[in-house]
Amino acid sequence: MSHPAQAAPAITHVQLKVGLEIHVELATATKMFSRAPNLAAARLVNDQAAPNTLIDPVVLGLPGALPVLNREAVGKSIAVGLALGCSIATTTRWDRKSYFYPDMPKNYQISQFDLPLCFDGAVDLPPADAQGRPDFAAPRTGWRRIGIIRAHLEEDAGKLLHELPGGFAADYSIVDLNRAGTPLLEIVTQPDFDSADQVVLFCQMLRDVCRGLGASEGVLQKGHMRFEPNINCILTLADGRRVVTPVVEVKNLNSFKAVRGAIEFELADQPKRWLATGREMARGAKSTRGWDDVAGVTVPQREKEEAADYRYFPDPDLLPVPIERGWVEAIRSSMPDLPLERLRLFTAELGLSAADAHALVDEPAVAGMFQAAVDLATTEGTHADLTPVPGPAAAKAAANLLLQSAARRANEATAASAGHRIVLASDLGFSARQLAVLVLLREHGRISSQSADELLGLLCEPERREADPAALAAERKLLILRDDAAIDRWCDAAIAQNPQPAADVRAGKDAAIGRLVGAAMKCATAEGAQGDAKLVRERLLGKLRGGG
Amino acid sequence: MPAEAPPLISPNLPATPAPLGDIGGCARALAAGSETAVGLAKRSLERARALQPTLNFAIDLLEEQAMAAAQAADARRRSGAVLSAVDGVPFAIKDNLVTAFGRTTCGSRLLEQYRSPFTATAVQRLLDAGAVPVLKANLDEFAMGGSGENSAFGATRNPWDPSRVPGGSSSGSAAAVAAGVVPFALGSDTGGSIRQPAGLCGVCGIKPTYGRVSRSGLVAYASSLDQVGPLAHTPEDLRLVLSLIAGHDPADSTSARANASDLLTELEPALPPGTKVRIGIPPQARATANAPAVLAAMQRAERSLRAAGVELVDVDLPHADHAIAAYYIIATAEASSNLARFDGVRYGQRAKLGAGEGLHELYVRSRTEGFGAEVQRRIMLGTHVLSSGYYDAYYLTALKARRLIKGDYDRAFAEAGVSAVLMPSSPGPAFAIGEKSGDPLAMYLEDVYTVGVNLAGLPAVTVPGGFQPAGGTTPDLPVGLQLIGPPLSEATLLRLATLVRYR
Repeated sequence: MSHPAQAAPAITHVQLKVGLEIHVELATATKMFSRAPNLAAARLVNDQAAPNTLIDPVVLGLPGALPVLNREAVGKSIAVGLALGCSIATTTRWDRKSYFYPDMPKNYQISQFDLPLCFDGAVDLPPADAQGRPDFAAPRTGWRRIGIIRAHLEEDAGKLLHELPGGFAADYSIVDLNRAGTPLLEIVTQPDFDSADQVVLFCQMLRDVCRGLGASEGVLQKGHMRFEPNINCILTLADGRRVVTPVVEVKNLNSFKAVRGAIEFELADQPKRWLATGREMARGAKSTRGWDDVAGVTVPQREKEEAADYRYFPDPDLLPVPIERGWVEAIRSSMPDLPLERLRLFTAELGLSAADAHALVDEPAVAGMFQAAVDLATTEGTHADLTPVPGPAAAKAAANLLLQSAARRANEATAASAGHRIVLASDLGFSARQLAVLVLLREHGRISSQSADELLGLLCEPERREADPAALAAERKLLILRDDAAIDRWCDAAIAQNPQPAADVRAGKDAAIGRLVGAAMKCATAEGAQGDAKLVRERLLGKLRGGG
Repeated sequence: MPAEAPPLISPNLPATPAPLGDIGGCARALAAGSETAVGLAKRSLERARALQPTLNFAIDLLEEQAMAAAQAADARRRSGAVLSAVDGVPFAIKDNLVTAFGRTTCGSRLLEQYRSPFTATAVQRLLDAGAVPVLKANLDEFAMGGSGENSAFGATRNPWDPSRVPGGSSSGSAAAVAAGVVPFALGSDTGGSIRQPAGLCGVCGIKPTYGRVSRSGLVAYASSLDQVGPLAHTPEDLRLVLSLIAGHDPADSTSARANASDLLTELEPALPPGTKVRIGIPPQARATANAPAVLAAMQRAERSLRAAGVELVDVDLPHADHAIAAYYIIATAEASSNLARFDGVRYGQRAKLGAGEGLHELYVRSRTEGFGAEVQRRIMLGTHVLSSGYYDAYYLTALKARRLIKGDYDRAFAEAGVSAVLMPSSPGPAFAIGEKSGDPLAMYLEDVYTVGVNLAGLPAVTVPGGFQPAGGTTPDLPVGLQLIGPPLSEATLLRLATLVRYR
């Protein structure tokens, strides 16, 4: 197996092979097996619960305390499993995984050994475009099927800290058990990835899926998702031989950047390591490394001296859980469109830019409101004179309102809460139906974009929860008047008041038209009406130059 | 109809302060006004203090808690708001049931100073019914043992002969009832820990159907086998206490959905006229390896049952001989995992570390210093049988044996049509302190009649079956018999037990 480096034949090709283990903290209200509040559920900006406050006798593993299953965790896991194309077990059970560590109060973890809740899934992943976004237009041959081996539920451990808060040194360790007992879904993929792009795309997609289903908050900075790629390379040598490098598992990555960095580093470094050591894939050759975010390298982690024996056996404190098919089907039927499907729909069918589509999909609630408003505006219409408009037009208008007018107000509300609350564009108080009316008013040329923004602001006020935006536009005199006689009247008045610019326009000096349009719009405002600048301009030109 | 059988209390014990007798007697005295709850609690505590130096049944006396509860009970009685038949009646709590008052030691050095923030469901239900807790009872450490000798707080002694063991692991619970210190006590039974000491101390004890009583707050030894139950002087008293503690508890996932409605009516008459009942007797019950007193008790019980019109038939339990082996694999496997949490990190005794010692030494030293020899032996056994390479040969094989043992009983109940199986609760009367402590295997064989019941999850009640007559310096020693029934048949078992109980 070992060989002197100088004797190694040249490497002519390197093929990357990556499988993923992902730990997802589920956003259940309470912990996996107790009623203590779940740290991963609180949708707070400053969720700095004091250490060891989200605990109870079960979390602490006190004598006599017994675990009681939180079925919400099973339901959320089933939803993620279905989204990943998995089969759902008809019965699942809980096993104890034994090892001693101070962040694990019982010194065993309740997990699932041989009967995982979800298994045998697959996800079709489009290739990434130049910006690293899924490219739905790519031919199917460029897509990749990622096998999902299993997704099982377990409880998270606490956190062991080796320095005091504030970074002060201590000659002892301290433990915070707030995280202990948080439901953790561990998803294991087949080693089906052959590029860092694909892996990152999958991780992003999985985050979107978990957030879309309400299964996880998916805040990477808080460790809601932790990625562990298993990486190795297939090297083709100049003599035609192929060798496989030992698998490296990189532990506990909690950003997409780190996932990409670790894989790219290993892709570059594993061939060099092989040249230096000659070590190939074999039983026991797998090693564990950590990611140094600053240096941008993986570093070996201390290996255990002997193989771990976790002594799994069924937890006698918990009963096996029968998963009734009715439960699975109820979950399936209540699942929203999945993020990949939404991205495809928003870009390929509704014509949104990739950036807008991602911005919408990023917040499932916003995407849901967008979809509902576009549905209404394209299929039913909202008033007799606000008839349906084509999808791309409705989508563009709805996206603009949500991502600009509404997003700006949401950011202001978030800032005003001083970090206590995250306000989304869909949380401002207006409904999807009200949004659809605004979209139709705009697309039928009945209000200006400024008026749409103003109306949206009015609809955020609590007393206007039930208001009809069309009636509100009329009441506020924001409707564009399309009355020919009125436009004639304003244009004639403008020409009469501004003889010199009128003469200039007649003489072919287009620059002068601005003065006349402004004067005509002022006349409209004086009558308490809203003019359409484009129409007014056309009418003035017609009057001064003939035609039109 | 036979009259209520009086409590069996050793005549060799001091007569003052007077023994408390059974629940029925206490309840009648309270109702008649001839006793107060405070009076009973004081007498219970005084008798406890008098007998504790010889018998060592208590880890702590709960004087404050008892007096407060007794005063509240008397106040309720004065205002006519009596909560239950045990309102104002003293009781003892095996010290592996956590209580939010006092400490909960499990008889272990490791938990010597442990205080629980919550109270076990079974205890809480009795407190809610007005019962007065007077002591935390001694036990074999973490309920591991059949003699009462494996306690960090010293061996409990048998009230009939203090040179002998009371049995275990509910040693203090059985001794305190037998000595007339309390009318009843809570124990736990993982492989016979209620029934065997009840038999050796001449009191009654029931191991309910697995799941019938909540395990919440019972410090786990072997979770799939552990069950909380009462010890008392009569089957009627067992029924009364069981009716209060049984029933579903959302804090225990393995707790049965059954309510306790079947336990609400008095037991006698045991066999209403015209009832046809069949009881099975396995060959092991008549084996000559049993002590003569045990065989004599069996014969007396058979005569008494026949006289009451019960049909006795032979039943076969072909896999019973594998029960000890299966039990000591399954119980120790679960124990090795259940006791992993006692590491000195969050609570319990933590070893003082020397220079250069770290986490590994903290674990090893805390556990070595904190656990007694028998607990260490069972943790090592259990760790071994779950280890990679041994799991199939030991643990999985034991699970198969467990299914076969349960199948034996299912067949006896279904095919032979028996309502219960009668057998001894141990092969002989109480043995001498120290007699078996050097030979763990001989000690484990003491459990031969009890562990199968836990493996099968069945209810079983032990009652005094007779006495080994006094000889030389040895006083009379009680021997116990048990009746085993199908799941949730406690009411029937207790009725039949009134016919078996020595009187």
